[in-house]
Amino acid sequence: MATRNRTLIFRKYRDALKSVRVPTSSSPSTSSVRGGGGGGGPVIELVSTSLLNPNRKYAPLSTEDPGNSSKGALTVGLPPAWVDVSEEIAANVQRARTKMVELAKAHAKALMPSFGDGKEDQLTIEGLTQDITGLLRKSEKQLKRLAAAGPSEDSNVRKNVQRSLATDLQNLSMELRKKQSTYLKCLRQQKEGQDGDDLEMNLNGGRSIIDDDNLDDMVVESVNELAQIMKDLSVLVIDQGTIVDRIDYNIQNVATTVEEGLKQLQKADRTQKRGGMVMCATVLVIMCAVMLVLLILKTILF
Amino acid sequence: MVLVSAARDYVNRMLQDISGMKVLILDSQTVSIVSVVYSQSELLQKEVFLVEMVDSISKSKESMSHLKAVYFLRPTLENIQHLRRQLANPRFGESHLFFSNMLKDTQIHILADSDEQEVVQQVQEYYADFVAIDPYHFTLNIPSNHMYMLPAVVDPPGLQHLCDRIVDGISAVFLALKRRPVIRYQRTSDIAKRIAQETSVKICALHVLSEPFICSLKITAVEKMIYLVNNSSGMQKLMYQQESGLFDFRRTEMSPLLLIVDRRDDPVTPLLNQWTYQAMVHELVGIHDNKVDLSSTGKLPKDQQEVVLSSEQDAFFKTNMYENFGDIGMSIKRMVDDFQQVAKSNQNIQTIEDMAKFVDSYPEYRKMHGNVSKHVTLVTEMSKIVEERRLMLVSEREQDLACNGGQVAAFEAVTNLLNNESVSDIDRLRLVMLYALRYEKESPVQLMQLFNKLASRSPKYKPGLVQFLLKQAGVDKRTGDLYGNRDLLNIARNMARGLKGVENVYTQHQPLLFQTMESIIKGRLRDVDYPFVGNHFQQGRPQDVVIFVVGGTTYEESRSVALQNASNSGIRFILGGSVVLNSKRFLKDLEEAQRIAKSSTNVV
Repeated sequence: MATRNRTLIFRKYRDALKSVRVPTSSSPSTSSVRGGGGGGGPVIELVSTSLLNPNRKYAPLSTEDPGNSSKGALTVGLPPAWVDVSEEIAANVQRARTKMVELAKAHAKALMPSFGDGKEDQLTIEGLTQDITGLLRKSEKQLKRLAAAGPSEDSNVRKNVQRSLATDLQNLSMELRKKQSTYLKCLRQQKEGQDGDDLEMNLNGGRSIIDDDNLDDMVVESVNELAQIMKDLSVLVIDQGTIVDRIDYNIQNVATTVEEGLKQLQKADRTQKRGGMVMCATVLVIMCAVMLVLLILKTILF
Repeated sequence: MVLVSAARDYVNRMLQDISGMKVLILDSQTVSIVSVVYSQSELLQKEVFLVEMVDSISKSKESMSHLKAVYFLRPTLENIQHLRRQLANPRFGESHLFFSNMLKDTQIHILADSDEQEVVQQVQEYYADFVAIDPYHFTLNIPSNHMYMLPAVVDPPGLQHLCDRIVDGISAVFLALKRRPVIRYQRTSDIAKRIAQETSVKICALHVLSEPFICSLKITAVEKMIYLVNNSSGMQKLMYQQESGLFDFRRTEMSPLLLIVDRRDDPVTPLLNQWTYQAMVHELVGIHDNKVDLSSTGKLPKDQQEVVLSSEQDAFFKTNMYENFGDIGMSIKRMVDDFQQVAKSNQNIQTIEDMAKFVDSYPEYRKMHGNVSKHVTLVTEMSKIVEERRLMLVSEREQDLACNGGQVAAFEAVTNLLNNESVSDIDRLRLVMLYALRYEKESPVQLMQLFNKLASRSPKYKPGLVQFLLKQAGVDKRTGDLYGNRDLLNIARNMARGLKGVENVYTQHQPLLFQTMESIIKGRLRDVDYPFVGNHFQQGRPQDVVIFVVGGTTYEESRSVALQNASNSGIRFILGGSVVLNSKRFLKDLEEAQRIAKSSTNVV
């Protein structure tokens, strides 16, 4: 695939034009000397140019600092506050991802046949799962804060950031759910295998019933949470392949909402100006003035 | 895949090296180019959180210096002006400029002049200057397409603008493919010749700039060899001639073929009604940049008013886009049945496991639901239109006129349909045009009768349109053998086909492009009809062929190309045009051209 880089030529032109521009912009007396680099600037340059261009007038050296010529350099301002929120959410998502990797390892370890009763494995798994779910919940709540009102470009950026983070969150939740379900399925299979062997051990039978209940509870809980998260996020997440996923559709929509917003604002402005309050106030003031005049007339005449 | 993947690669490269939050700024042409190959969700993944148009962004005053601006524009005058204003008062932290075609030095100068605050970090040319709507089909979406029908004297700058855009688009395709083509054009078309020559000049210029063309490396190696041999041995002329054979062979073995043809060589294809899915949707409703706008066809739920029909993203569409209407009905019914089964099982939730399964598969369920509704809506709309306009009846006649002979029967049939009240104006016009194109010379009296009847029946008909069409694309102007009645072999073939009968009356028409492709495959494209540009000459069969139709392509032709590519003949075809036509657009172009031609003759 062919491309061509024009940056060097661009920089060359830019530097050349900058050196032309710097002397002419720093003092008004040099305005008569254009294009040849007269006026302000180092003495050597002036001498050489006057040698090269004998026709040019000798303009006095400017005392202004040529470094000021960059009129009002772009102040790289601080990003708005919501960027911090979005970065926090992104950090949480990252943390959740690393925890997921640990969870996968813990799952694998717990499924392996071991000598102990695997209680500590269970505890670590539960702990990790709860951590991840907590992180996802927190991120989801913070996500709501990102939404902004009003049709401005900033709000579009925020909406898009929201969407992107929502997609990440949803994917993480689905992944968590999948891992959990496979783990629970494997666990159940193992338990059934074990029960098949120890038919006479009542203790085991008792324990397996309790564990089955626990498993079911865990399943219900995770399904519940996932459904909750998905419901909240489904408004934000873009369905791939639909019209909402098209760039040109989004641009059009932005244009129309911005226009709509402008119209609404103008309408509000007009109604406010025309508003009853202003009318009432003016009428009252006029009436007060009229009454005052009548009062004065009355006192004068009588 | 080539076109779509090339465009996607370009966009990926633009975005990947720039870290942080970005805003992508496009112009009205590049927005189409990017939208058909890249989706909004993919942009979000690349941290592009705002997409704006370059003309609207110039008006805003908000400063967003925490964003980095990525501009992807065509190098036109207006865009450079917009950029000047932007760079003089920059709103974003950094600016990265990407242009879809070659910049002139003056333009770089202007930009450098206005970049006082030095926000521009890079200026690159990424040659994604075409809209890749299908893997082997691209278009240029040129609004002033009708200019191709007018002679150059009418509006020289307008025609120059059209030619420039086409040449830019074609060279971008070859730059994206990184190949240098051998160019052939249709002899009888002036505009095809002009475009072929201008493209040749531009590509030669690129070669001189020693841009990365694979062929050029081999050629320069051979040239160097020739030079050394010449200097060392002194047997100059003889050696060069001996080597030149090798030179040509090497070059033609790798060079793709660019064939430039004129729409007017095959005016029948855009006039016919279509019955294969993609072509039919475009003909009856209209597809623009792979989007279908259904908002004008009655009350629909909000999310179905505008839908996306892209073979890349929709697996059902990909398998069914070239199927005819009857088969599509069956496929959709099957899809709906499958979906209903899934829906029923979802409603039947009894155990916790069912619940878990439902929640897990919910996103896919939603996607399937959306897809099914989209296709059902489209097919319902099209069936409605077919009913209203009696298209089954009309289209049968049209296909007859396009494919089979029999002037007398054709005349009677067309007259009957013209008398039929339920046939719409545009269909009547099309019938008369198809009749006129075929039987132009055979019975002028009856032709006049048809014109008069058309004028009396259709109040909105602009008089002289059919005659204008005949002047543009009549039998004397056409190169190709449109009706298969010019040489003996074709006549015999037609008779054989008539005897055998056709599988489906409605899809029996083959566009002229099909014959052209066959000739290329057999290596029998006549030099008399399609000469080479310059002194290039290609002996063997090319492996890649790009066919550009000045005036616009149709989806019927792109279907032909796709089926040909799927048949593994060893040659890969790519089709491109200035627009994608349907009968409405073709007639609109004709009317525009007629209006301008009339007004210019009035002035003169």
